[in-house]
Amino acid sequence: MINVFSRHEKSKEEPLAFKSLLVPVDGSEASLMAVEFACNIARRGRGKVHVVHVIEVRRALRLDADLTDEAQRGEEILTQAEMAARRQDYEVDGELLQARDAGHAIVDEAIERNADLIVIGVPYRRPFGEFELSRVPTQVMKTAPCEVVLLRMPAE
Amino acid sequence: MGCGRLGAELAVMLEADGHEIAILDVDKYAFGHLPPEFKGQKVLGDGTDQDTLRRAGAERADAFVAATRGDNRNALAAQVAKHVFQIKRVGSVIFDPIREEVYRGLGMRTINPTKLEAGLLRESIEREDE
Amino acid sequence: MFIIVAGAGKVGYHLARALVADHEVLVIEQDPDRVDFVAAELGTDVIMLGDACDAATMELAGMERADLAVATTGDDEDNLTFCQVSKARYDVPRTVARINNPQNETLFKQLGIDSTVSATNLILGHIEQELPWRGLIPLMTLTGLDMEIVEIRVPREAVTVGKQVKQLLLPQGALLCLVISEGTPRLPTPETMIHADDILLAVASIESEEALRSALTEPPS
Repeated sequence: MINVFSRHEKSKEEPLAFKSLLVPVDGSEASLMAVEFACNIARRGRGKVHVVHVIEVRRALRLDADLTDEAQRGEEILTQAEMAARRQDYEVDGELLQARDAGHAIVDEAIERNADLIVIGVPYRRPFGEFELSRVPTQVMKTAPCEVVLLRMPAE
Repeated sequence: MGCGRLGAELAVMLEADGHEIAILDVDKYAFGHLPPEFKGQKVLGDGTDQDTLRRAGAERADAFVAATRGDNRNALAAQVAKHVFQIKRVGSVIFDPIREEVYRGLGMRTINPTKLEAGLLRESIEREDE
Repeated sequence: MFIIVAGAGKVGYHLARALVADHEVLVIEQDPDRVDFVAAELGTDVIMLGDACDAATMELAGMERADLAVATTGDDEDNLTFCQVSKARYDVPRTVARINNPQNETLFKQLGIDSTVSATNLILGHIEQELPWRGLIPLMTLTGLDMEIVEIRVPREAVTVGKQVKQLLLPQGALLCLVISEGTPRLPTPETMIHADDILLAVASIESEEALRSALTEPPS
C-alpha cells in the first residue's frame, strides 16, 4: 500500500510514540474513556490529542445550516472531553464539525491533522440481542489511513 | 394487468360476475394461476406498453385494473389506461402506503393491500372469541 | 440549486459529474457497488444508497429542499413515480424525466412532468432530418408550452403546391413562420406562393401536428 499522506512517522523503535491522535467524541461514557485512554498513550511520545465532535446534518437542511441546539450540545460534549483529559493531566484541543456523515468527517479530519492514531470509544450495546459495531466506527475502521484503536466498554 | 395470485383471483371473480376479461402478464407461467375454466383473453406482454394494451383490447375496455406487485408499474399502467385510452374505470393496487396516498391525491382509484391486510389481521387478533 | 437525481447509471452519473461543480447534487442509487463507484469518483456527499421512489428515502434525501428532481433510470415507471411523488408530496418546483419508450412522452407531459428527454426521439429526429423527405419533422420542443417547431417539406403532389399562403387551411394552433424556396428563406406573407420541394418551418401545438402535416403535404383528395 502506498502511503500518500505525509504523516508524523513514528520511528520503528518507538512504535507507540504516536504524535497526533484523534478522538471522536459523542458524549457517551465510551468516548470520554477513549479520551483518557488516548491521553495516556500520547504521553509516551508527547503527542497531541485532538478531540472532534461531528454534527450530522440531515439532507433536508443545507450543510452549513445554523444548528444552534446541536452546536450548543456539541460544545458541552467538547468541554466534557477536555475535563476527561484533565483527569489524566493532559491538554486536548477540540473541534466541532458539521458534515453529512460522521464516519467520513472523522477520517477526513484525521487526514488533515496527519493523525497517526484514531481512538474510538464503543459502548457495549446489543440493539437486536447481539453486540454490533455501529455505523460510524465501522466506517472509520474501513477507511482510516492510520492505525485505529477501538475501546469497547465492558459488557454489563 | 398482472396474473399473480391477486390478479388471477380478481379476474376469476369478475368473470363470474359476467364481465369480459383480458389479463396481461410478462411471464407466461403466471397464467397458471388461472383455473382451466377461465374463458378470458390471456395476453403475454407488458401492460405499461401502449401497443400491448391495444392488443389486449384497451381501446374498447370499460375498466382497467393494475394488479402487479410493482407500485410504479401499476401507477404508470393505470395512468396510460386513463389518459391515453380514456378507459372510464381505472384502479390500481399500490403497496407502499405513502405512494398510495400520493396517487389517491392525484385522483387515482387505489387499494393499499398493506393497510387492508394489517387492518383485517388486527381485527382478527383483537376479537375476543374465535 | 439543490438537485436530486434518481439513478446512478451512466446517465445519472455523468449528469451529476457535470452539475456538481456549480450545484448541490445528490444521486440516489439502489446498487451498492454503483454507490461505491460514484462515491469514489465524486465524493460520498453526492451519492446515497436507496430506492429513489420510496418516500422514506426521499425524506432522507431532503426532497423537501430540492429545487429540481431528475429521473434518469432505465425504467419509465420508476422515472414517472419519482417525478410525480416529488412534485405531489414535496412540491419540488421542477421535474425532469428520462423517457425510454418514446410513446410515453406525451403522457408524461400531460401528467405534469416539466421536461422529458427521450434519447430515442432525439435520435429519430436526427435520422429523419437525413432522409430525403418524410413529411413533418419535429425540430425542437418548446417546453412548458406543449408546442414544437417543425419542418415540413412540400411534396410535388401536395394540394398546397401553387397555392398562396392566404389560401392554406391551417389547423388552430399552427403558425407558418418561414418558407424556404430553393435554399432561400423568406418570411411568408399572405401572397407568398408555395412551391414543390419548399421547406416550411412552422410552430404548432403538439396536438395539431398531424392535422398540419396533412393540410400541407397531402395530395388533393
